[in-house]
Amino acid sequence: MELRFRKGRDIAFGTAPRALPPVPCAVGAVAVMARDFPAVVWDPRVTQGQVVRQGQALCVDRLRPEIALVAAASGRVSGLHHGARRRLERIEIEAEGAEETEFDVKGATADPGSLRALLLKSGAWAAFRTRPFGRIPAPSDRPAAIFVTVTDSQPLAADPVAVLAPQVAAFQRGVAGLLHLTEGPVFLCQPPGPALMAAQGRLRVVQVAGAHPAGLAGTHIHHLWPVSVQKPVWQIGGQDVSALGQLLESGRIGARRVVSVAGPGVQAPRLVSVLLGARLTDLVDDAAGGKPLARQVISGSVLSGQSAPFLGRFDLQVTVLGGAAPAPSVWGRLLSCLPRLRTGATLPMERLEAAFPFDIPPAPLMRALAVGDVETAERLGCLDLLEEDLALLSWLCPSGCDYGALLRRVLDRLGQEAAA
Amino acid sequence: MMRSGVDPAGGWDAHRLTLAFGIAAGLPACAAIAERGGAFSILLAMGLAVIWEAVFARIRRRPMAWDGLVSALIFALLVPAQTPFWQQGLALSFGLVMGDLIFGGRGRGFLSPACVGLAFLLFSFPQAGAEDLGLMTMIAALGGGAILLGLGLLSWRVVLGFCLPLLAGAALSGAPEAVAWMPNATLALGLIFLIGDPVAAASTNPGRWAYGGMAGALVMLFGSEGSALASVVFAGLLASLFAPLMDQAVVWWAWRRRRNRRGQHG
Repeated sequence: MELRFRKGRDIAFGTAPRALPPVPCAVGAVAVMARDFPAVVWDPRVTQGQVVRQGQALCVDRLRPEIALVAAASGRVSGLHHGARRRLERIEIEAEGAEETEFDVKGATADPGSLRALLLKSGAWAAFRTRPFGRIPAPSDRPAAIFVTVTDSQPLAADPVAVLAPQVAAFQRGVAGLLHLTEGPVFLCQPPGPALMAAQGRLRVVQVAGAHPAGLAGTHIHHLWPVSVQKPVWQIGGQDVSALGQLLESGRIGARRVVSVAGPGVQAPRLVSVLLGARLTDLVDDAAGGKPLARQVISGSVLSGQSAPFLGRFDLQVTVLGGAAPAPSVWGRLLSCLPRLRTGATLPMERLEAAFPFDIPPAPLMRALAVGDVETAERLGCLDLLEEDLALLSWLCPSGCDYGALLRRVLDRLGQEAAA
Repeated sequence: MMRSGVDPAGGWDAHRLTLAFGIAAGLPACAAIAERGGAFSILLAMGLAVIWEAVFARIRRRPMAWDGLVSALIFALLVPAQTPFWQQGLALSFGLVMGDLIFGGRGRGFLSPACVGLAFLLFSFPQAGAEDLGLMTMIAALGGGAILLGLGLLSWRVVLGFCLPLLAGAALSGAPEAVAWMPNATLALGLIFLIGDPVAAASTNPGRWAYGGMAGALVMLFGSEGSALASVVFAGLLASLFAPLMDQAVVWWAWRRRRNRRGQHG
C-alpha cells in the first residue's frame, strides 16, 4: 500500500543529524512528566529519597491503577513535584547504579491476557496513545486498528528507519506482540523503501511519502482509518515497538531511545542514545561540548515541542534555539524592524490548504476551534487529530493562535461527553 | 509552535500582511497619480482611515491596526474623480466602519470595506462615472496582483473562476463590441482588491471556485447594462454575501464524505 501526499510543507531549519550509530549519552537525572498524558491523575507509589530500580513503578493512574509509569533509570527519587490542585506533575530520579527489574515474560508471547498484564506492569502500556483524544488506552480496550509509525517528517528529526535498523529483530518481535492486542489490522507506516517486515494477514505495510506532516501518525490514521469514539485506534512509535520486543525477549524494559539533538543552538547536530525522560541540559551540554550559551532547549520539534527540563515521553528530538543566527537578507532585516502584531484574526489564505494534507477544509476547522464550536469541529473530523497535527497551521496562521491547545480543549469536551 | 515561543522566519502577522497589501495597492496608486493626478484625494482618504482606525483602537483598547490605509487607497483609486469630497468621505467612513471595524477589524468581517464604501456611494449618489483610469494603472494593478498571487494572498482559484465566465461569455456572444469594455483598469483593480480580498472571498478551495465564478458571471450580467465600476462593485458585494454559504456547503460536503468514508470499515 502507498500513501503519497502532495500537500504539506517542509520547513528548512538547519541540518538534521545523519551520523550513525548514535552516541550513548549518560544522564544525571530522568523524570516522568504528567503533561505527556492528558486527563490522567497520577498517584505516586514512591516517596522522596527512596531508592528505585529501573522498571519499578513510580506512579499509577488513580482511576485505572493497573496503568503504571516506571523508572527509566535506577537511582534515588529526588523530587515529587505537584502542580495545580496538588496533582502530581513530575517525579525526578537522580540516576545511580544499574539495578534492573526483571519481568516474567513466560506466556506473554502466546497469551493475550498475560501480554496485557506485562505491558501494564512494565510501563510499556503508556507508549500507546488512542485516537480520538490522545490518551493512554484503558486496560481492557480493544482498538479497531493499531498504527506503528516509523516515519518522522518534523523539522530536524532523525531518519527513523536508519535508527531502527540495528534493532530490527526486536522491532519485528514487538509488532508480532501488537497483533495480539487487536482483532483489527496493524498498520506499519514507513518511508518508501524495503519493507521493515513482510505484510501478511492483519499486518499491513504502508509506504508514506510527502512533506511534513506526512510523517505524523494523525495523517496516516486520517487517510487509512478515520476514527470515531466507538472505534478508537491506537498509535505507537517505532522505537517503542522495538522496546516492546526487547521486553518480550529479555524481560527488561527497553528504556533507551535514539534522539536527534539539533537546531541553531548546537554546533554539530547528532544522534544520541538516552534514557526516557532524560534531563535535557545533560544532553545538550554534552552535545555542544562547551559552556551553556543563552539558548532555549525544546523537547520535541520547533513546531510542536515545548520548553521543558526533561525529554517528553513521546519526543524523539531535542531542538536547541539561540546561538548564532544565520545572517538575514537585506529584505529580511528590513522586515524584522516591523514589530510583530500577533493579535490579528486569521486570513484564510491558500497556503493553509497547501500545507494541510487532511480531507478537512482548514479555515472552517480553525474557525470552529477558535470559537470553541465543538459540534462543527467534530463533524469536520477533529477526532482524528492531536495537537501535533495542527502545529503547522499554527505556524502559518497570522493570528498567532495555538490551534493545538484549542484542539485539546475541544477534545477534552468531547471526551467528557463520550464518557458521560 | 507558539507554546515554545519560537518564531522561525516565515510566519505572517497582521503588520506584514498590511504591508504586503499596501505595496500591491500602492503600485496602481502611483500609476494613477502619474496618469491623472489626484494625490490629494488619496491622502485625504488615507487620513480619514487613520482617524477611524485610531478611534476604534482607542474604543477597543487594542494596538493600532493599519489595514484601513489599504482600504482607503483602493477606495480612492476606484472612486470617480469628480465626486465631491464630502460624498467620498461619507462613503469611505461607511465602508470602513460598517464593512470592517464594527466586526472587530480586518479578518473578522466578511466584506471588503472598500467595496462596501463604493456600493454606498453608487447607491446614494448615482452619477455617470467616467472611466478615467488608464492603461498604465491597469498594468500596475496587474503587477500588484501578481505580487499578491506570488505571496499566496490572492487566490488563483478566485481569479481563474472569475475569468472563466467572462471568457465563456465573450466566446458565446460572438460580438466583440459586447465584451470590448472588459479589459480596463477598473475591472482589474476590482478583481484583485475587491473580489480577490481574502476576507471577502470564500475560505475553502471549492468555495473559491464557486465564489470567483459567481462574481465573474455577475460582472458579465451587470456590465452589459451599467458602468464597469458599478458592475464590479455590486458583483463583488453580492458574491461575498454568498461566500459564507458556499463555505458552509463545503463543510457539509466534507462531513458527508467523512461519514461515508468511515462507513467503509464500520
